[in-house]
Amino acid sequence: MTAPLGRVVATERRPNTPHEFHFWTALDSPVGIGTIVRVDGRDAVNGVIPHVYGIVTEGFSWTDLATPLHDVMGHDGQPGSQVAVTDRAEIRLYTAAVLRHIPEEPLQPVPMGAVFLADEADVHVALRMDGYLKEGSRTGIPVGVYRAGGTDAPIYLDADFLLGPEAAHLNITGVSGLATKTSAVEWLLQSIFTHFPAQKGSIAAVCFNVKGPDLCFLDQPGVIDDADRALYDQCAVPAEPFSDVRYFAPYKSDGVSLNTLRSNEALLDNVTSLTWGLREVLQYAEVLLNKDDIDAKADALIDFIKENVLDKRFTDPMLDRPHTVASFADLDAWFKDVLRALEKKDDQSWRTHHVATIRKVRNRLSNISLRCKGLVADDGATSDLPFGSFSDRTVYVIDVAGLEEDAQDLVFARVVTKLREHLEKRDLGVQHVVVFVDELNKYAPGDGPETYVRKMLLDIAERGRYLGLVLFAAQQFRSQVHRRVVGNSGTALYGRMDGDELATPGYAVLSPAIKTKLATLEKGQLMVRHPHFTQPIFVRFPRPAVMRGRDGVSQYPQAAAPTLHAAVLRTLRVLDPALTLGWLEDVTRLATDEEILRARNAMVRERPNDVRRAFASHFRASVAPRSATRAPTPAPLPALPSDDPYGF
Amino acid sequence: MHSIVASGAALNARTLQRELTGLLPEARTVDGESTLELTTQGNDAPRLMSATVVEGDRLQAFQVAGESGPGFRAFLDGTQKSQVVCFVGSAPVVLGTVAAAVRDRRERRMHTWRTPLIEHNVYVPRAFLSPHAWATLERRLGDTLIDTTDGLPDIISHPYALRDAAFHRVQFRREGVERRLAEQWCADESDALFIDGGISGSEPVAVSSLTVGVVKSHRTLYAEGEALGTVLGLQYRQRSSVFRITSPKRTTVASWYLRIRNPDGHDPMWGLVRAEVAYPGPSRMADLGARADDVSRWILAEASPLALPDGRWDKMVYGVRDCEEFLRAIT
Repeated sequence: MTAPLGRVVATERRPNTPHEFHFWTALDSPVGIGTIVRVDGRDAVNGVIPHVYGIVTEGFSWTDLATPLHDVMGHDGQPGSQVAVTDRAEIRLYTAAVLRHIPEEPLQPVPMGAVFLADEADVHVALRMDGYLKEGSRTGIPVGVYRAGGTDAPIYLDADFLLGPEAAHLNITGVSGLATKTSAVEWLLQSIFTHFPAQKGSIAAVCFNVKGPDLCFLDQPGVIDDADRALYDQCAVPAEPFSDVRYFAPYKSDGVSLNTLRSNEALLDNVTSLTWGLREVLQYAEVLLNKDDIDAKADALIDFIKENVLDKRFTDPMLDRPHTVASFADLDAWFKDVLRALEKKDDQSWRTHHVATIRKVRNRLSNISLRCKGLVADDGATSDLPFGSFSDRTVYVIDVAGLEEDAQDLVFARVVTKLREHLEKRDLGVQHVVVFVDELNKYAPGDGPETYVRKMLLDIAERGRYLGLVLFAAQQFRSQVHRRVVGNSGTALYGRMDGDELATPGYAVLSPAIKTKLATLEKGQLMVRHPHFTQPIFVRFPRPAVMRGRDGVSQYPQAAAPTLHAAVLRTLRVLDPALTLGWLEDVTRLATDEEILRARNAMVRERPNDVRRAFASHFRASVAPRSATRAPTPAPLPALPSDDPYGF
Repeated sequence: MHSIVASGAALNARTLQRELTGLLPEARTVDGESTLELTTQGNDAPRLMSATVVEGDRLQAFQVAGESGPGFRAFLDGTQKSQVVCFVGSAPVVLGTVAAAVRDRRERRMHTWRTPLIEHNVYVPRAFLSPHAWATLERRLGDTLIDTTDGLPDIISHPYALRDAAFHRVQFRREGVERRLAEQWCADESDALFIDGGISGSEPVAVSSLTVGVVKSHRTLYAEGEALGTVLGLQYRQRSSVFRITSPKRTTVASWYLRIRNPDGHDPMWGLVRAEVAYPGPSRMADLGARADDVSRWILAEASPLALPDGRWDKMVYGVRDCEEFLRAIT
């Protein structure tokens, strides 16, 4: 049996309660803030010696000095004067918050007794992990390793409470620049993919890369050291990059090159363009149009277009011709026709829609294709995530870092809505999806106007766990995120925190010592809150075994902007690797750039079996050049005889 | 962890009160009484005594030169607490607790040396108690019952006189446990021991080269006339000449006064202590001055840290305060 490291003490002024107790230790004890300890009671209750588990939340130290002035006097006012031959009596007193009582009833104040450092088994019991680490019904997901006083114990989250259905969602807070938030998510995803219980089915992750190259190299190995490897070993997670990652990125405004930092030729095999047409965008017009844009009249016209115009043959006696609107270009032609008709008749309204409303909606909708150029194709071409055929243990990264804010919102809203729709219908391809969103305070702020994205995030936070749609969200300032979003996150991780943030009311439940520890956390350390843990726990996690964004950018520099033909060929080769640049140049010799891009988009959309023929069919057949040759001269007619009576 | 050796089951005042009122219907309990240490101490009359100077021919002041370094390894002190729990007639029944401990300094930190001694006893004036009452108490308390009138045939029945008698018995017991610990140290250790108080009460302790007694109270001053002026005029880091203290009931020791704090602005006794060491044989007499200087430097080194907030901090060294705090915690 190990020796006790402290003793419980209680006084009338500082009594113990069922949720808090105090103990003192030797001056050289390894106890610190966040250390888990076990108290063995002295007296049996109902025949059982009580054991109480607690975590140190506060520490005090003092000597027998009655006032600091006595020390000044003792040194004659000279701090550097002779050192006293005896050190004053000194105490290390700690306050611990109770994690668990064994037995749980009757719940009594913590008894006097010896205090021991918790070993790994104690940690399991203290954090109630014993309930979900049983063989046969194991649902533990390692989140890191608890380290204190020589005890190393992996800490597990309960998959039922992290990924549903009991509770779900994860929120990560921490200051920027310490690689905590993104690294923690990368590590945790790897851990989830390794330990996700078989009985819960399949799982995939959709990550939105909203800034820089953070998530652009998840399939490339990163640099980790022996200490990291030890943590991986302890958590039984392979120290490897993700084996199956698929990237999606919109085009740049030129429609040729992909708008991502992962554009190096060597890495393009799993990068797919993300392109949406009018149909996809109009469903989420609310995301891109603000309240001033969409009054009741405009809303009515947009609904009319969605119901009666989009993807249908639309005829009207007033219009010059029938319209089938499938793209922004078609829509603009339809608007022009309607307005021309109104001008011709000198009328102010058409089908109850006022001409001003029509002009306004035309202006706003047409504007979308400009604001989201690269993502939204004028011609209705669509290249999307593989909704319906998601793969187990696969990470889908959508790189929206290069997009305007509106376009980011659009991508986010549409992707998440589609995920929800497919999960509701159980036809996504996997049963659980983790959606990782950084900068949550931008998408779901605590104040500001109600936006579509915020409403959608609230919906996921409150109902997603029943569907298997789990939100992993990160932000620098948790206090600035909508309360219902963070409140519904069953699990919360905290990296190093800013002092101002810690001063906000949301952190009032933490002791000053815990706040100090949070403000000085090292890289790779997290504070974890989880439904099974009655108090926050500090853990260490390894560096993710994936290439860091900035390393990836230097190792795989961005490709130079490709020529139109090179870019198109790259896309088409995904469908038919045998295609050559010479063939492409021949086929498109007489085509404009727009025609070539339209043909490419059609290939991506239709994915034909015979790409060569399908692509060529979009262009006029070119005539092979031939050198002019003189036509063979017919043999000269014989000269007429001079005596021919019929000759003229 | 050290165990406590007590001379009987640990008693506390409230338990004893409850038991005695059950055993002796005539007992009247008292509540809220101060301890006798607060009400009785300091009743000895101040006095001056002459002493034979053995360093030179008259008492002089010497500057203690040189660096003050730690010379003591451990500190010994004892405590006592006497509380009247009830009266049987005019006879006070006093619960007395005495304790002594040696605190050993290792790496500048204090640790308890061996087992501290603690005794709980009940002090009763048998001469003023009915035989039945005494017999009843004796049955219940056994060896812990102490007769405070034993050997005092002339004591009067004034409750204060009986209370003082109890106090002195407790004091005697306290000196006894201190003496036992000091003797253990002298028998088993080889480093210097700082004893709070005189050392002449025990022969083995008084002749040991390991023990230094440091007396803080000066109800008796060993100087008269011009010598008294010299003692009271000692400046910081000055000591008096060494003199000899002899007593018919005690062992002869060598002693000197030492000023361990600057007395400017304070009363003449401020920072004044009297050191006692073993009286040397004739062959070591010449070294007595050097020995006094060495020991004085050791004592001066103990002046920091201050023993505040104890009111006697000008004379008390921190090691002794530590002993007192330790004993307060365990008694």
